[in-house]
Amino acid sequence: MRPQAQRVSLLLPALLTIGLLFIVPLGFMAFVSTLQRGADGGVIWTRHSIDAYVQFLFERDLADNLVINTDYIRIFLRSIGLAAITAVSTLVLAVPTALWMAFQPPSRRTLLLFIVTVPFWTNLLVRNYSWVLMLRNGGVVDWVLIGLHLRTESLDLLYTPLATGIGLVYSFLPYMILPIYVSMEKIDRRYIEAAFDLGANRIRAMQRIILPLAMPGITGGLILVFVPCLGAFISPELLGGAKSMMIGSLIQQQFGQSRNWPFGSALAFVLLGLILIALWLHALRYRRAGKVAS
Amino acid sequence: MTAAHVADIPSRELDVAAPVRRSADHQAAVECRGLVKTYGPVRALDNVDLAIRPNEFFTLLGPSGCGKTTLLRSIAGFSTQDSGSISVHGQRLDGLPAYRRPVNTVFQSYAVFPHMSVARNIAFGLEMSGHPKDKVAARVREMLALVRLEGMEARMPAQLSGGQQQRVAFARALAPGPRVLLLDEPLSALDQKLRTGMQLELKRLQRDVGITFVFVTHDQHEALTMSDRIAVMSGGRILQIGSPEEIYERPTARFVADFIGETNLVEAEKIGPGRYRIASGIELDAADGGAVGQTVTLVIRPERTVLEGRDGGLLPGSVDQVVYEGTDTTYHVVLQQGDRFRVCEQNRTGARPRFSRGDAVSIALPRDAIRVLSA
Repeated sequence: MRPQAQRVSLLLPALLTIGLLFIVPLGFMAFVSTLQRGADGGVIWTRHSIDAYVQFLFERDLADNLVINTDYIRIFLRSIGLAAITAVSTLVLAVPTALWMAFQPPSRRTLLLFIVTVPFWTNLLVRNYSWVLMLRNGGVVDWVLIGLHLRTESLDLLYTPLATGIGLVYSFLPYMILPIYVSMEKIDRRYIEAAFDLGANRIRAMQRIILPLAMPGITGGLILVFVPCLGAFISPELLGGAKSMMIGSLIQQQFGQSRNWPFGSALAFVLLGLILIALWLHALRYRRAGKVAS
Repeated sequence: MTAAHVADIPSRELDVAAPVRRSADHQAAVECRGLVKTYGPVRALDNVDLAIRPNEFFTLLGPSGCGKTTLLRSIAGFSTQDSGSISVHGQRLDGLPAYRRPVNTVFQSYAVFPHMSVARNIAFGLEMSGHPKDKVAARVREMLALVRLEGMEARMPAQLSGGQQQRVAFARALAPGPRVLLLDEPLSALDQKLRTGMQLELKRLQRDVGITFVFVTHDQHEALTMSDRIAVMSGGRILQIGSPEEIYERPTARFVADFIGETNLVEAEKIGPGRYRIASGIELDAADGGAVGQTVTLVIRPERTVLEGRDGGLLPGSVDQVVYEGTDTTYHVVLQQGDRFRVCEQNRTGARPRFSRGDAVSIALPRDAIRVLSA
């Protein structure tokens, strides 16, 4: 029995970490989402209810009948749309950047990697506030455009979906560049030389060799940007204003002003469910592609 | 696949290749003039002149860093020379990017595209030059037969052995129908047994396809077995160009003599026509070379000398080491002045080595075993 005990004791730190930091809090929130809300916030620990999940799709009209309410679905769709646009925009910016970085001499690559990760050392909130200063009426963007006589009045950029988009793309760009850079840097240069040798010009080599071989980095980057973007809170809150609410702000509101913890938890779990389904579909496709290849 | 069948494969149908086919046959397949390439203070190519004949198996041989790979990469277009020019069948390649040059390369460690099947790999070059689908498919089948990989077209590179990947790399490079194929140490990643097999296979391929092979290797044995002609390189220069026999039997430089095969190099003074005196005062006869009074180097191959008992030979010494190598036995003999001398004997009868460590022996030097280098 000694090896058995040894195995358990060695596994213990990992089990504790996963349990305390992952399963317990998530389980707690799942539990909260099935409780009845308290009158002044919080929950009533003894009363169970599925009201929170019902509220996502339905509301009660004046005659107390359940009718479909699309408000929350619209917020979800808007968030998914904005996350998708952000993912595609960061991809378009990241591919040429990563390609250029990967083909620099090794010493310069280290410096460029450092520059890409510099924003991580600064608070995300501060960085988004700096975009408020840039985009607001009479801010840096207006000042430059008017100064160059390109425009005569303000663009009114702040508190628009575009401002949210700019903020999200800015915040998540490093998460797209890094995995793509890593996969491009690993590509054996001889594959590219072989492509040139066989008559492929730069564009063909890009299409047929570099992009397919960088695919793991590209899908990784898309997941790393799209998923956190769905629940992003800071950029939409600071730059988007009240008109274009996203999931993150909605959830925050339930735990704040609305004092509806069960609904807030339920929203978080609906989001988690959607993400897991999407990842599962991706894994399924990936496995099938792997089977075809082998 | 017979030679006749493969011979009518059209040359690569690129516009740039068009003038090539009209050119005369006596023209060099590859011609380099005054090639210079420097990396910082290092001269990788130091004024290289070279003319490779059509349809020959030409080998660039030398130790690592001698410039052979730089020369090959300059022809392929992956490296730009500082000065000098390169032509292939009369067409100047200077300034042309790699993808517009009428040559193809087989890379060291294959560089078979890992995300494409065998067939897609072989088809790549043909697709790039815009051949119609049915032509590509036919050519791919032809290439698979040529390298004996029929039935493997759907395999991915990760499912192939090293030798099979090597064949895919050959087929891929040959498929566009280049008139010159460049090979950058293509066999160095294979184990010894497989390598010997692939050497014969490569030689067969070159005969069947009937095009010029420019082969880079640091393995002198490989060079001697496969080549029609060899260029021995050192320090960015070509020291000698010749057939394997010429390079081995009549080296013109001390480096070539030392690099190719096992060699005893003995300093001597020329004291008369065909007469030389070595350091120990012993005089011997050899072919004429150099001027009287000049110091020359005698190149003596270990397998051309004979080990005799104490008094039978010319150079006295004692056996220091006996190395049994299967087909041969090499005796390391210490001469009276302390110089070491190698004598190699074939193990014909399976008998035990004739001498053992510590035996007093003498070395017989037939006149034709000695090559005189006056430089």
